[in-house]
Amino acid sequence: VNWQSCCVRCDSSVSSAAGPVDTIYALSSGQGRCGVAVVRVSGPAAGGALRSVAGLSRALPAPRTALLRSILNPQTNEVLDRGLVLWFPGSLPGLRPAEAGEFTQRAFHAGKLDLTEVEGLGDLIHAETEAQRRQALRQMAGDLGQLYNDWSQRLKRCLAHVEAFIDFSEGDLIEDGVLNQVDLDVPQLQMEIENHLCDERRGERLRSGVQVVIAGSTNVGKSSLFNILCQRPAAIVSPIAGTTRDIVETSLDIGGFPVLLSDTAGLRDTGDCVEKEGVRRARHMVELADVTLVLVDSTQLPQEPPMVSGFLREYLMNVLPSGNNYKQQRLLILNKIDLLPKEHISAIQNVLTQTSDLAPVCILSCHSREGLERFLTLLQDRLKTLCGDPLAGSPSLTQTRHRAHLQNCVEALNQYYQYRNVDLALAAEGLRLGLSSLGRITGKVGAEEILDVIFRDFCIGK
Amino acid sequence: MLPVRRLLAQPRFPSFSLARSSSNSSHKRYDVIVVGGGHAGTEAAAAATRIGAETLLITQKIQTIGALSCNPSMGGIGKGHLVKEVDALDGLMGRAGDYAGVHFSILNRRKGPAVWGPRAQLDRSRYKEFIQSELLNMPRLTVIEGSVEGLLVSAADPEQPGKHRVTGVRMADGGDKILCSSVVLTTGTFLSGSLFMGRTTSPGGRMGEAPSCAGLSHSLKEVLGLKLGRLKTGTPPRIIRETVNFSLTQLQLPDPQPTPFSFINTHTHCKPEEQIPCHLTVTTPGVDRVVRESLPVNSHVQQDTKGPRYCPSIESRVLRFPGRQHQVWLEPEGLNSDLIYPQGLSMTMPPEMQLRLIQEIPALSQAEIHTPGYGVQYDFVCPTQLFPWLQLKSVQGLFLAGQINGTTGYEEAAAQGLWAGVNAGRTALSLPPLSLSRTESYIGVLIDDLVVHGVTEPYRMFTSRAEFRTSLRPDNADLRLTPKGREEIGCVSQHRYQEAVRVQQGLTEALSTLNSISLSPPCWREKLSDVGISENKSTLISGEEMLLYTDVSFSILASTFPDLLSPYLEFAERIKIEAVYRPHCEKQQREMERMREEESLSLPPDFDYFSQQVSLSNEVREILDRARPSTLGAAMRLKGVTPAATVHLLNYVTKTDRKTRGK
Repeated sequence: VNWQSCCVRCDSSVSSAAGPVDTIYALSSGQGRCGVAVVRVSGPAAGGALRSVAGLSRALPAPRTALLRSILNPQTNEVLDRGLVLWFPGSLPGLRPAEAGEFTQRAFHAGKLDLTEVEGLGDLIHAETEAQRRQALRQMAGDLGQLYNDWSQRLKRCLAHVEAFIDFSEGDLIEDGVLNQVDLDVPQLQMEIENHLCDERRGERLRSGVQVVIAGSTNVGKSSLFNILCQRPAAIVSPIAGTTRDIVETSLDIGGFPVLLSDTAGLRDTGDCVEKEGVRRARHMVELADVTLVLVDSTQLPQEPPMVSGFLREYLMNVLPSGNNYKQQRLLILNKIDLLPKEHISAIQNVLTQTSDLAPVCILSCHSREGLERFLTLLQDRLKTLCGDPLAGSPSLTQTRHRAHLQNCVEALNQYYQYRNVDLALAAEGLRLGLSSLGRITGKVGAEEILDVIFRDFCIGK
Repeated sequence: MLPVRRLLAQPRFPSFSLARSSSNSSHKRYDVIVVGGGHAGTEAAAAATRIGAETLLITQKIQTIGALSCNPSMGGIGKGHLVKEVDALDGLMGRAGDYAGVHFSILNRRKGPAVWGPRAQLDRSRYKEFIQSELLNMPRLTVIEGSVEGLLVSAADPEQPGKHRVTGVRMADGGDKILCSSVVLTTGTFLSGSLFMGRTTSPGGRMGEAPSCAGLSHSLKEVLGLKLGRLKTGTPPRIIRETVNFSLTQLQLPDPQPTPFSFINTHTHCKPEEQIPCHLTVTTPGVDRVVRESLPVNSHVQQDTKGPRYCPSIESRVLRFPGRQHQVWLEPEGLNSDLIYPQGLSMTMPPEMQLRLIQEIPALSQAEIHTPGYGVQYDFVCPTQLFPWLQLKSVQGLFLAGQINGTTGYEEAAAQGLWAGVNAGRTALSLPPLSLSRTESYIGVLIDDLVVHGVTEPYRMFTSRAEFRTSLRPDNADLRLTPKGREEIGCVSQHRYQEAVRVQQGLTEALSTLNSISLSPPCWREKLSDVGISENKSTLISGEEMLLYTDVSFSILASTFPDLLSPYLEFAERIKIEAVYRPHCEKQQREMERMREEESLSLPPDFDYFSQQVSLSNEVREILDRARPSTLGAAMRLKGVTPAATVHLLNYVTKTDRKTRGK
C-alpha cells in the first residue's frame, strides 16, 4: 500500500520521519525564501509521518481534505509552524514518485507532445521574462514542431514525386515535368532552412539577454535614466560632471525582454587617470552593445534650430565607435527638456522630423518623466527586433540539437543537386536522408506514407 | 579478352508422362507437399527439393504448371529486383525468363543502377515449357494432378509455438490422405474465388478452370480459425492480333542487346534480332463514356473489396482520374501467338461493352476480342499471422506463399514461394527456419512488410519500399545472396555458388587494383583529357575515385592501363557501379547494422505483453499482442509502437534473457 501526504507550511525546514525505505520526502515548492512552501512525503510510512508532524494521534485526515494543524517537531513536540495538511491515499500498486521530467517523458512517449514541445516545456520552466516565456510557450504549443512538420511534409512530397518518377514513369503518364516542381521546391526549402539556421542568434539573445548601454557626454543624465529604468537609485546621481567612473550593470525585464543594462562614464577628454580608464571602459561597452542609448543634454543644443541636426550628428560620431555609426542599433535621447521653453522644443521636434538619418529620437526629461512612455515603447520595439517577437513570424531556432539535424538536412539536400541529372536513385537518397534528419527532430516518416502521396497525386496504371 | 561465354542450358523437354505421379502416392510420406503450380508453387517445390526434401507438388492440371495467367511479361521496376534475387538463390524464374523472353529491356536506364528494372515480354508457351521441364525432371520431386480438399491437422507439438500441427492433405473426390511434415499452400486466387463479368458472377479462380479449394477455405477458416480478408484483381480481354491497326500506335523497341535475368546466363535464348516489339496507344473520351455507361451492369466495380491502386482496371482509372488519356500497351503474347494483351485495359463490364470500349481507341477500332476480360475476388489469409519464414504462427508445418498472402504479381509470388519452400524443406528436415533481413534483400523487405503491417490492398513491390535501396541493387543480388544461399540456407547449387565466388573475387581484385593506381591530377588530365578534373584538386586520385566521374568508364581506364585492368573487363559495368555506390553504401552501413541488431533480438511468440513487469501503455500492449512481432525490429516498425515502448521491451527482453541464461 502506498500513501502520499502533502502539507503546506510557512517555513521550509521539516524533520524527517522517514520510516522504511521507499518513503521519500521533498520540498516540492521552489528553493529559497518564500511565503508558502509545499513539502511532499510519499511512501508506505507517509501516513505515520503525517500523524506525527500534524499531532494526529489516531486517524488520518479525510482524504483530499485540507486540515489546519500545528506542525510539530515529532521528537520534541515543539510547534514549528501552523499549516495545512492534506492526505492523498494512493490506490495503485507500484506507485512511486516521478523521476525528474518523467511526466513529460510519458506525455512524449504517449504521443501527446513531440520532441520540440518537450524542449519548449523545459525552456518554459526556466523562462525568466515574459518574452522568454512566450517563446517557450510557443514552442511547447507546437509552433516550432509545426514549422518542422511543414518542411517535412513538403520534403515528403518532393521525395514522393521523385519516387513516383522512379517507380512509375516508364509506362505511365508521369513525365519529366514532375521533377520540375521538385527542382523548384528543394532549393526553396533549403533556403528556408538556411534562413532559419541564420536566425539562431535571435533565439539565443532572448535566452541570454540584450546588452543595452547608456552612453553620452558627462552630466547629460545617464545615471538618472539608468535609475529610472532600474526603478531604484542604483547609480549615484549628482550635478558634478564625471560622477560615474566605472560601468554600473544590472539585469532587467523590459517589456518582457531580458536586458543587461549598463551605465557608463561620460565621454570626455580628461587628465584624471581613473576617469580616463572609465571612459575607455565606456567606449568598450558601446562596442559590445546590442543597443546604445545615446543621451544628450538638450540645454546644450545650439539655439538656432537649423544647427541642431549638425550638432547631433557630430555628437553621435563622438559616442559611437567609428566606422559603423549608423549601423549599430542606437536610440538618440534628448534629456532635460523640462528646462527648455515649449516653443523651443517644438522647433527642435520640427527639425528632427525632417532629418530621417537621426531617427529614432526621444525627447524626455528624467526629472519630470515627460516623454518616458514613448521612450520605453521605442526601446521595447528595438528589443523586439533584436530578439524577434516570439509570437510573430516563424518560431526561432532554440536548440543546438535542431541545428545539427537541420544542417544535416541542408547538406543532404545538396546530394539531390549533385546527382539530379546523373543518378536519380542517389538524388532521391539525398532527399530521403534530408527527410530523416527532419524526422529526427519531430518524428519518423515511413515508406508507406511516401506511397500514399504517390497514389494521391498520380494515376498509376501499370 | 572475351569473357567465357557459357551457353544457356537448354531445358530438358518434358515428356508430359505422369509416370512419376504414381497412383500409390497415398502410401508414401513426403517431407513437403506444395499445393498449387503457379509461380509461388513452382518455386516452392523447386526450393524444397534443392534443400533436400522429398517433395510432392499437387496441381489441378500439369499442363497449366508455369502458366502466365495474366500479363505476358515479367520483371520491371522493383519486380526486376525480385527476379534477380530469386535467381541468386537458384530459383527458376530468372532462367525461365531468359528462355521465354522475346523482348528485353532495362527500365529506368537513365535513373541509376539501384533502380534499374530488368523486364521482358514473354512467350507464354515457352515459359510454361521451361518451368515444366525443370520440375518434371527434378530429383526428389513428384508432381501429381488433383485437388486438395482439406488439410490433415493434429495437436501441436508442445515444444514448438502454435496451436495445431499439419500432418498432410486430403485429396478431393473421396481421394486419399497424403502425409507429410510441411505443407506449402499457394492457391493464388482460388481460395473462395469468384469471377465477375458484367452482372454475372461464378465461382472460380481463373476463367476456364474448375473452381476448387472450397474445402481448403473451410480448413483455414473453421478448423484453423485463421483471419481471412478479401481482395480483387482483374485481367484484360485478349485481342486478335490481325485486327489491330498498328500504324496508329507508337512502336516500342526492345534493347538492342538483351540483358539476361539470370546471373549464370551470359545471353538470352532469343537472339537480339529475333526480339519482337510492343506498341503503345492511349484511351479516348469515348472510353470514359463507355465506362460510365457500364457502371450499372458492372458488379465487380461496385464491390467494396480492395483492388490495387497501381494496377487498376480501366474502370477505376477513369473513375478516379476522369478526362485523362490513359496509356494502353499492346503486348505480344508470344512469338507465334495471334493474340495481343492490352496492358492497362483490365475490365469487368459485359463482353459486348468491352468490345465497344476497345473500339473507341483508334488503333483498335476494328479489333476483335478473343477472350473477354474479367475480375476475380478471392480470399487471402491476413499475413500478419505468419512468421517471417512464412509459416503460420498458429499452425506448425503450414506455410503460405503468393496471392494467398495478399500480394499481386508473378515476381512477388515467386519470391515468397522460394522462401516458403526453403523453410518448409528445412523444417521437414529438422533444420531451424530462416528469415531474410530488410538489410540484405527485397525478398526480406517484401516478407517483413507483409508479416509486420499486413495488407489492405494487393501488395506489390516498389523500389521505394526498400530503405536500403542504394545497397540492394539488381546488379549485386548474387553477391548479397548466393554465398549465403549455399553456406547458410542450402538452396544453391555448387555450380552457381562457384560462379558467384568467382565474380566476387574478380570484383574485389579489380577494385584493389584500381586503388593501387594513384596519380596526380595533372597526370590524369594528360591520360584522360576529356575528363573535367577540378582545378582545386591537388591530392592524388585513385583509379576507383576516377570512376566517380560520370564520363569515366572502366573500359576507358582499362584502355589506359591495359596490363593491369584488362583481365577484369568482363566485370566493367559492375565495377563502375560498385565504385560509384560504395561511398553511399558505407554511409548506410551503420543504419543497417542497427536494424540487424534489432532483428536479431527475437521476441518469444508467447510473450505476455500484458505483464506488469514490462512498462507499456495499454494501447501499445494491444498492438503488440495482436501483431506478435517475431523480433524487436519488427515490433519497432509497427504503427503505434513508440520508441520508448521498444526501449522498455528491449530492457525487459534482455533482462529475462540474462535471467534464463543464469538458471
